[in-house]
Amino acid sequence: MTDFWILLTGSLVAACCSILGCFLVLRRMSLIGDAISHSVLPGIVIAFMVSGSRDSIVMLLGASVLGLVTVFLIQLFQQSGVQADASIGVVFTALFAAGVVLVSLNLRNVDLDLDCVLYGEIAHVHWNTWTLHGADMGPKAVWMLGFTLLVIVLVIGLFFKQFKLCAFDPMLAAAVGIPVALFHYLLMGLVSMATVSSFESVGAILVVGMLIIPASAAYLLTDRLGRMILISVAIGIASTVLGYFAAVVLDASIAGCMVCAAALLFVLAFVFSPTHGLLARRLWRRLHSRSV
Amino acid sequence: MRKKTNSAIRRWMYAMAYTAVSAVVLAGCGNGGNEPAAGDGKLTVTATTGMIADAAAEVGGEHAEVTGLMGSGVDPHLYKASQGDIKKLDNADIIFYNGLHLEGKMAEMFEKMEDKKPTVAVARDLPESALRTDPSGAHDPHIWFDVENWISATEVIRDTFIEKDPANEGDYRAQADAYIAELKKLDDYAAEQIASIPEASRVLVTAHDAFGYFGDAYGIKVMGLQGISTASEYGSKDVSALRDFLVQNQIKAVFVESSVPKKSIEAVIEGASKMGHEVAIGGELFSDALGKAGTSEGTYIGMVKHNVDTIVSALK
Repeated sequence: MTDFWILLTGSLVAACCSILGCFLVLRRMSLIGDAISHSVLPGIVIAFMVSGSRDSIVMLLGASVLGLVTVFLIQLFQQSGVQADASIGVVFTALFAAGVVLVSLNLRNVDLDLDCVLYGEIAHVHWNTWTLHGADMGPKAVWMLGFTLLVIVLVIGLFFKQFKLCAFDPMLAAAVGIPVALFHYLLMGLVSMATVSSFESVGAILVVGMLIIPASAAYLLTDRLGRMILISVAIGIASTVLGYFAAVVLDASIAGCMVCAAALLFVLAFVFSPTHGLLARRLWRRLHSRSV
Repeated sequence: MRKKTNSAIRRWMYAMAYTAVSAVVLAGCGNGGNEPAAGDGKLTVTATTGMIADAAAEVGGEHAEVTGLMGSGVDPHLYKASQGDIKKLDNADIIFYNGLHLEGKMAEMFEKMEDKKPTVAVARDLPESALRTDPSGAHDPHIWFDVENWISATEVIRDTFIEKDPANEGDYRAQADAYIAELKKLDDYAAEQIASIPEASRVLVTAHDAFGYFGDAYGIKVMGLQGISTASEYGSKDVSALRDFLVQNQIKAVFVESSVPKKSIEAVIEGASKMGHEVAIGGELFSDALGKAGTSEGTYIGMVKHNVDTIVSALK
């Protein structure tokens, strides 16, 4: 059962992240997950200063608020003409630094590392169960991530055309009357929700990796967005399973192995993709030069 | 054309889904999860830090098979779980952890586990008055530096063993009493040794604030560069304030710690040397983790002795 819960949690994280990752890769904003993983620090510090508690609910609340602030600011700067990568960099370093200052001013003697109070560990999910009226409902993380996935699938599914057009051609989207800014903010809100809830359940590295790697691999394998999302989710889940077995064999960090497995699948896609792969391109060039 | 690729993709997806499902099923069969713990009638005990594992092994004696999650030299703040740790926790009959937020978020998991098996914070019985409390209300978790606290922790461990395995109560009591007697000797030794340092030199300067309990218990002033949390960076003001203090009070030595990098403390030494006061590195202290297994610093008593001797020989 333990293995099942870990694989299910990993797959839910992979699914949430790799769906959103596709849009982020297309918008060249895939590092936003890493940004959020740092910028939530002031959120948890303030949450602790207000409540005096390090309970995960309080920490999650503080982190969620700061996650939303982060993506809002990034989107705001980007819309005002700052480069996407620069606006991510500016926002997350500034917020993280503010968190460090807050800790050094007030809380030097309190253990408030993100690692200790916010980031969960996928190895422990099956112990953190949710009890409702005395009944064991299974791991909390599965419920939280399942809900997150549901929201993501609903929102993206309902407005798929709008999201697609906004990702590829915001000008055209605006011209046909789609509220582009609204959809950008909506997407960012989903990203914030998915990353923060995943951080709380499984830690940072798995989320940051799953947000970037499966989508980037899928990008090499297809030119159609719908298919890219499906492939991305498949790669995400496959890396969860592969990575977990690697972790069992090696007795190593589970999240670390899962991300390494995703990287391995990415390399395979990079080399062997029938359209954009290294081999295919080389072959195509050779054929082409021969015919000339 | 499009139809063809679509069906190819779909087939591939099915294959993927099939692989995933069969892998899950295989995983379920492979580990079984519920294999009986230690077949020879021994209790399987899992402890978080090396210090707790050491005390549990002393009290449990031949009735317990103790494993620690955090290896030697591992800073509890930086501990990363490996896949094998799941089994150590799943198969344990008793789990001991420090408590007071030393294990961070893992504490919530331990509280959940309490419903299923004895899962005990060894700091449980320490009265509020014995704890160091930050103005914000958080407690300093490094309780093991006051040997008296560790005696209380040993008693918690003993009572947990007895509750789980009343048949061997006599053995647990005898082993715990023997260990506590040694701890009392250690406590006296530490107090005596530290008192032999001239009062003006009784200052312990280290990189991070793990030694607060040690200072309170044995009457030595403790100064650290960094807060308890490894996330709080030290400021340049901290470096210069500490440097001035060293120079004014003619402190002979500062100390580095096994699980904290040396760099921060070296800046202070360099600063003092520029002001014409030479400060030596008094040696390496063990703070959040024990030394290597098999060496004398690999046990709690050996670690405390090492720390005390190092401090005394450098400051005297």
